[in-house]
Amino acid sequence: MPTHLFFHRLSVVSLAIAFSCGTVFADAPKPLAKKPLAVTIEMRDGLRFEPPRFEAKPGDEIVVTLENADSTHLPHNFLVVQPGKREAVVQQATELGEKGQARDFIPDNPAILVHSAMLNPEGTNTVRFRLPDAAGVYPYVCTMPGHGMVMYGAIYSGVNMPPLNKDPNIPQQAVAMALAGGGQRPFVQRMFMPDAGPAAIAVALPGTQNFCWDAGECRLRYAWSGPFIDASAHWRSNGSSLATLGGEPWWKAEKGAFPLKVGASGKVKFLGYKLEAGVPEFHYRVGDTEVFEKITAAPNDAGLVSRFRIPKAAGTVEFAVAPGNAQWSSPAGAMNGGVLKLTGAQAAEFTITATAPGAGHHEHH
Amino acid sequence: MRILILSLTFALTTAAFAAPKAKKEKQPPGPGIAPFFTVTPVLTPPLVDPQVGGMDVTADGRLVVAFHRGEVGIYTPKTQDWKIFAQGLHEPLGVLVEKDGSILVMQRPELTRLRDTTGAGVADSYETVWDGFGMSGNYHEFAFGPVRGPNGKLYVTLNLASNGGSIREEIRGEWSPIGVPREKFYTDWKNARGSVGRMYSRVAWRGWVMEVDPATGIAAPFASGMRSPDGINFDSQGNLLVSDNQGDWRGTCELFIVKRGGFYGHPASLVWRKDWDGTEPLKVPVARLDELRTPAAIWFPYGSYANSVTQMLTIPKTPAWGPFGGQMLIGEMNAAKIFRMLPEEVDGVWQGATVALMDSPEIKRGLHRFAFIGDTLYAGRTHLSWAGGEGISAIKPTGRIPFDPLTMRVTPKGFRFEFTEALDPGAGDPALWSARRYAYAYHPTYGSPEINKADVRPVSVKLSADRKTAEVELSAMTVDSIYDFDLAKIKSATGAGPLNPHIAYTLRRVPKK
Repeated sequence: MPTHLFFHRLSVVSLAIAFSCGTVFADAPKPLAKKPLAVTIEMRDGLRFEPPRFEAKPGDEIVVTLENADSTHLPHNFLVVQPGKREAVVQQATELGEKGQARDFIPDNPAILVHSAMLNPEGTNTVRFRLPDAAGVYPYVCTMPGHGMVMYGAIYSGVNMPPLNKDPNIPQQAVAMALAGGGQRPFVQRMFMPDAGPAAIAVALPGTQNFCWDAGECRLRYAWSGPFIDASAHWRSNGSSLATLGGEPWWKAEKGAFPLKVGASGKVKFLGYKLEAGVPEFHYRVGDTEVFEKITAAPNDAGLVSRFRIPKAAGTVEFAVAPGNAQWSSPAGAMNGGVLKLTGAQAAEFTITATAPGAGHHEHH
Repeated sequence: MRILILSLTFALTTAAFAAPKAKKEKQPPGPGIAPFFTVTPVLTPPLVDPQVGGMDVTADGRLVVAFHRGEVGIYTPKTQDWKIFAQGLHEPLGVLVEKDGSILVMQRPELTRLRDTTGAGVADSYETVWDGFGMSGNYHEFAFGPVRGPNGKLYVTLNLASNGGSIREEIRGEWSPIGVPREKFYTDWKNARGSVGRMYSRVAWRGWVMEVDPATGIAAPFASGMRSPDGINFDSQGNLLVSDNQGDWRGTCELFIVKRGGFYGHPASLVWRKDWDGTEPLKVPVARLDELRTPAAIWFPYGSYANSVTQMLTIPKTPAWGPFGGQMLIGEMNAAKIFRMLPEEVDGVWQGATVALMDSPEIKRGLHRFAFIGDTLYAGRTHLSWAGGEGISAIKPTGRIPFDPLTMRVTPKGFRFEFTEALDPGAGDPALWSARRYAYAYHPTYGSPEINKADVRPVSVKLSADRKTAEVELSAMTVDSIYDFDLAKIKSATGAGPLNPHIAYTLRRVPKK
């Protein structure tokens, strides 16, 4: 990988250089009290802007460098409009019909704060404008015919940005592109995850449960319900960011505590996973003993069920639960002091259920 | 000469070359490649981030592509259909198809074998072949490869960490005690950052080329001294080639012919040598490191040629590729260029030339991974947060070969150029041949200015009877230098100038005969 150009193409940075790149401005720029906010926005495959949103402050000077990186070779334009005016402007652009081509599908509308020329594939363009002093969510949009209903984004100017998957101001597919797997369930994504080792695996189960399994330590680290992970910051940059979870974990493992005691134990070694209907069964060794572990959602999505298979367990096997907020149970045997003790025969296949706080009670009462 | 470079190195370390990366030495855009190559976009699968990390070809001629967010797609050129074979990998930066059809992928945390065991056409088995290397959580710890050696072993390269970022509290694998204490990385990064090295190797095998047995997953260290070795491949003779990127200890982008046990210049990896005495590599005198290292076979002139070189691949010997068949190409991130490389061995020392194969906006920037299916060169792009591009192009030779230098070899008194066409009889005039000679420093500073610069004028030029070869004699030969020739004034018998007139030879050794 190249390492010596630190131009963060998709991050928002203050960059005075944007002035020197030959863009012709309608008005000679006045000396500014502060540097303008430089933003790079790409038009990408599937009618979308990348990034789909960014933050600014009311009154900010903004220099947007646009690049049509759509490998399907569609032309695009870029307009920033007043809050709430996106759909009206798109409608007006559509109504231009055949006359639209000559004017790059830019309608006459005072709600348009700024617009680019039409960008052909590979085309670049720079637009510069000042955000109004009124705080608000200022949409940006491509008004090429058929694009405007899905190809848009949002400038949060003095307004707090909600979590991506709860943002009503960006298109659904921007959410899908940000969520690993685009909303598919089940889905497995290896990723830099919070509160886990660097070789982590995030899994979205059918339903609402998700978990993080650590391939370095060969164990479940935590579970949460709700949306899967947003890894867009990780993917947008060079990989320095961690993914963010779509919900607060309802259970977390203790640091450094490996739950399984099998044979003489020893070091763990991750051997991979097999997908069964999209859900992984992890395979690893503890010392010399092979272990298979498959985690699925508990009935009614109340938690997680870990199914262990230890085909060649020699002697007793112990599994120590880290209760946290979850309730742990196993049909295989009794828990004594949070430890499940199994005979070698029992360990051939056994399950342990972790029920999320609150969830289990609804089911049983 | 080496001594001269060294003394300069010390001087430069303290000099104010704070931002060699900002240097711009862009040549005007190339003359276009239209008569010689056609470039067609390959539509990538919908809703897949079209940054390409790896490419290979199946036995039945389908293109296997690993994408930035972890998908592995298989493209059938005939039907132009994509099938998503695997998903959810972590920054895969290389794929290799195995004989039985399984696909090896080098992803951030491990080398993984993907297999379809159910016949559904989709991988259901993600088997860990090798994960016995460290991860500090630093963003720059990329993993590249694998490539298969003539001995059937696999070879991968592991990127160093960058002080553009710290490490995570939880790491995988052993931590090297040599250097700044571990906790300083996450408790006092602001102060630690300046002392950890521009690029660092505190978890195992960072900066190493590793040899992995594909059957057992047993790995052995193969060679050290790498920095950001994005390109790894074997040439047709079975030599292992690794390309590395300009940065600290890399005055410019470099190509190495890698031998078992070799050390290729970046000292951070030395802490993992079994016989290492525990000295912090940054405290080893540069002269000592210089003795230990094997220098690059090819320097890519920084800026004017390349800023970030990528994968290399042998051009097939097909009629359409003509005389270029059998030579190796290499990609470049920052400019829309693909180069040919012309390494040669002189008394056991590797050196050689590089020249553009294509230099045209049509092929776009970010050229990262390559694969041939028949005559067609598939070129996949990436950028991450650096300069580059995305998507895949299919580049086809039209069968017309441009007038260009075909080879450049060292002779006892200069260089022998072979061209793709006969030269104009007037090309024997030495006044038409000009070159610049310069070198890059070996030092901890990021990049290097051109040093020891001189203009070179040949004393004589002799054309062969068929005028396809020119023997260029110089008054002196200075080793550890680039001879960067500008052949713009050399015309073919039909009056054409070279499509790619710049060719740069990295001279390490002058043959006796």
